[in-house]
Amino acid sequence: MAKSHKDSVNRRGFLKGAAAGAAAGAAALVTNVETSEAQRGGGGQRGTAAAPGGAPPPTPEQVTRDAGNVQPPATARAITRPGSDLMTQVLRDLGVEYVAANPGSSFEGLQESLINYGNPPNKMPEFITALHEESAVTMAHGYGKAEGKPMCALLHGTIGVQHAAMSIYQAYYDRTPVLLLAGRDEGFIAAHTAHDMAGMVRSYTKWDAQPKTLDDSLIAIQRAYNEAITPPCGPTLVVLDIELQKEEAKAAKVPAYQSPRITGIESAQAKDIAKGLLDAQNPRIAVGRLRTPQGVKNAVELAELVGACTSTSATNGPMSFPQRHPLCGPGFSTTYDYTLGLETAGAQASITSPGLATLLSRDVTNIGFGGIAPGSGARGGGGARGGRGGAAAGPALALTADAEASLPAILEEVKRQLTADKRRAIQDRTAKHTEANQKARVEAIMQAVEAKRSGWDASPVSTARIYSELWPLIMNEDWCLSSPSGFSGGHNAQLWDHNKPYSYLGGQGAGGMGYGAPASVGAALAAKSRGRIVINVQTDGDLNYAPGVLWTAVHHKLPMLTVMHNNRAWHQELMFVEYMCGVRGRGTDRGHIGTSLRDPYIDYAKMAAGYGMASDGPISDPKLLAAALKRGVESVKKGNPYLIDVITQPR
Amino acid sequence: MKSTTLLFIGILFFPIVVAAQGRGTATPARNPNPPTSPVTGNAVNGKALYYNHGCYGCHGFNGETGRAFVGNWSSNLANEENFIRFLRARANVAPATPSTSMPNFPENSLSDKQAKDIYAYIRTFKSNAPPLQNIPALNEIVKAASRPYKP
Repeated sequence: MAKSHKDSVNRRGFLKGAAAGAAAGAAALVTNVETSEAQRGGGGQRGTAAAPGGAPPPTPEQVTRDAGNVQPPATARAITRPGSDLMTQVLRDLGVEYVAANPGSSFEGLQESLINYGNPPNKMPEFITALHEESAVTMAHGYGKAEGKPMCALLHGTIGVQHAAMSIYQAYYDRTPVLLLAGRDEGFIAAHTAHDMAGMVRSYTKWDAQPKTLDDSLIAIQRAYNEAITPPCGPTLVVLDIELQKEEAKAAKVPAYQSPRITGIESAQAKDIAKGLLDAQNPRIAVGRLRTPQGVKNAVELAELVGACTSTSATNGPMSFPQRHPLCGPGFSTTYDYTLGLETAGAQASITSPGLATLLSRDVTNIGFGGIAPGSGARGGGGARGGRGGAAAGPALALTADAEASLPAILEEVKRQLTADKRRAIQDRTAKHTEANQKARVEAIMQAVEAKRSGWDASPVSTARIYSELWPLIMNEDWCLSSPSGFSGGHNAQLWDHNKPYSYLGGQGAGGMGYGAPASVGAALAAKSRGRIVINVQTDGDLNYAPGVLWTAVHHKLPMLTVMHNNRAWHQELMFVEYMCGVRGRGTDRGHIGTSLRDPYIDYAKMAAGYGMASDGPISDPKLLAAALKRGVESVKKGNPYLIDVITQPR
Repeated sequence: MKSTTLLFIGILFFPIVVAAQGRGTATPARNPNPPTSPVTGNAVNGKALYYNHGCYGCHGFNGETGRAFVGNWSSNLANEENFIRFLRARANVAPATPSTSMPNFPENSLSDKQAKDIYAYIRTFKSNAPPLQNIPALNEIVKAASRPYKP
């Protein structure tokens, strides 16, 4: 490997000089500055005075270049075809839309290629500016859940990997595909590098590599992508030495990409399942979380072909059966004689992917790699239930395989075995299911709205009112609820229709805080080019882990509406500590210490404005809520993120 | 990252606590109408105590959200005596294994007078819910439920 000319003393000298130059430049720039609309108070409802300082607006030429339409000038360069250009081409060929990072010298070669290589440059992938590695990875996590494919996050050396560790851990527990690339620079700052950098997060990454050559690097990126999307999905990491990024590619070529072969069940098993579904008088399909939108499409086709009513996990997370599909519901009878589970339990048959080994399941003397848990795949949980009535028909056929990859074979078998008589019976059954499910849905909605009335005019605002007022404003839009709703009452589960694979992205993965806002930014990256809007009902404790993502949302003009569930506490913890105070009989009046966010209260509308985001609030009068939400939805439909600070009831 | 850890544990632990506590515990009778028994405490003091002792955490600032009182009055709230007995019995009988997820309130941390003040404040709670027909958002939701499914 050719070692680049690099002298740390010289480099530091260069950096020192650059810093001095930048300081002088900055001093010149602080005069005659313009601030963003939101910071001046004009973008939102907040009327703050113009803030002094800040960066000058980009020139028209810069804006044009940022839009990716202008090729940088080709001047005489020492390296004309750097390795990182080929790395970028690999990402482009894989269809990676975005690479999120905050800058780090260990990937400066790759960053330069990402923003300058190709025509147009900085597109597919586009560089997304993150303010923290944890945010960058959680953005990729949110994107991965929304689209069922990886986004990339770039990490800077040992320090970047460790900043990212918590987010990698969550994505791993959430079985979400994320592609991580980490720069490694052995010759610069010793504390920023390690012989085995991936070792720091190995026990909760699915696969990693530290290739020694450019050719191997390109292959490793492709393999990391494939490993990430092959069930059990998860984050994968490739460590890229800076020399490999910077060196001349010479004869190296981008290798031809081969997508992974994800295997489903055997054809004989597909035949049996098809027969079971078609012979049943009242079959049911329980649908858990599939991998991609195509899997959801195939599950719908199967249910329609066999006239099976279905259960869904769409109110728990992404990639499940459309909640309002006429076949989704208990059906006309809850006595099911054949239940097939797809990534969830089924009484007669279930197809579930292998799981990833958790840290609790490891050998403590040899932590080893993250990866497939031994003996996993026949787990019984996963949200939706298989339904009653099927257990007497025989033991479950528990198959460890990817359900999504199994569906084409089952569909093919069903089509082959369908007879005219069966078609007629299926049509009749479908009509009865449709009527019964619609009736059940209307009854459920009536019960739900009656319950949501309680505290409707209460101040602070009830969380039920937030979700109730939001739904009419977005029900005719293409929307994604990106934030976990469990701490906010989960009202969407009862009131909203989760009909798209990305309607609701579910929980954090490992229950870690600091997830909602960055995951929503990732979901909004997915939404931006697809005419979709993203709703982030944001708990206040969670936002304070990574508020810098608000700036990222503004900078990249993301369609993200953030509605604060601001109960001024880590409220779950407040309740636990009060409970413990009570158990020990020492009084609950100090339970707020360390669990609440008072003295002073945090003004999230001001925080948003500080990051340049249009905002409203704080709102504690429920009568002001609907108008603010309407302003917010209109704003994000135009591609301008918006934050509404709502002071709420605790839950 | 302590809160993260605690939250994670909490998510796992909380349903278990609730489920375990549900076993063998008689559910108190519930009444949609508020009690009419005499109130001797000071509701103004009770408001501060209700906040400082974190009652709002589960029962809402107005008694209408979360584990709401309004429209769902427990027999433990039928009168002052029941209320105090409920608080004390829980603390004195099994402080380490409480019978519900509500904290215990022994007398050394909440006096009878303070308990009566809280009770007086709770009794001021009333429904803020308008009739359904006066809530446009909820009416739209009901209307939309009847619409045909569009993929």
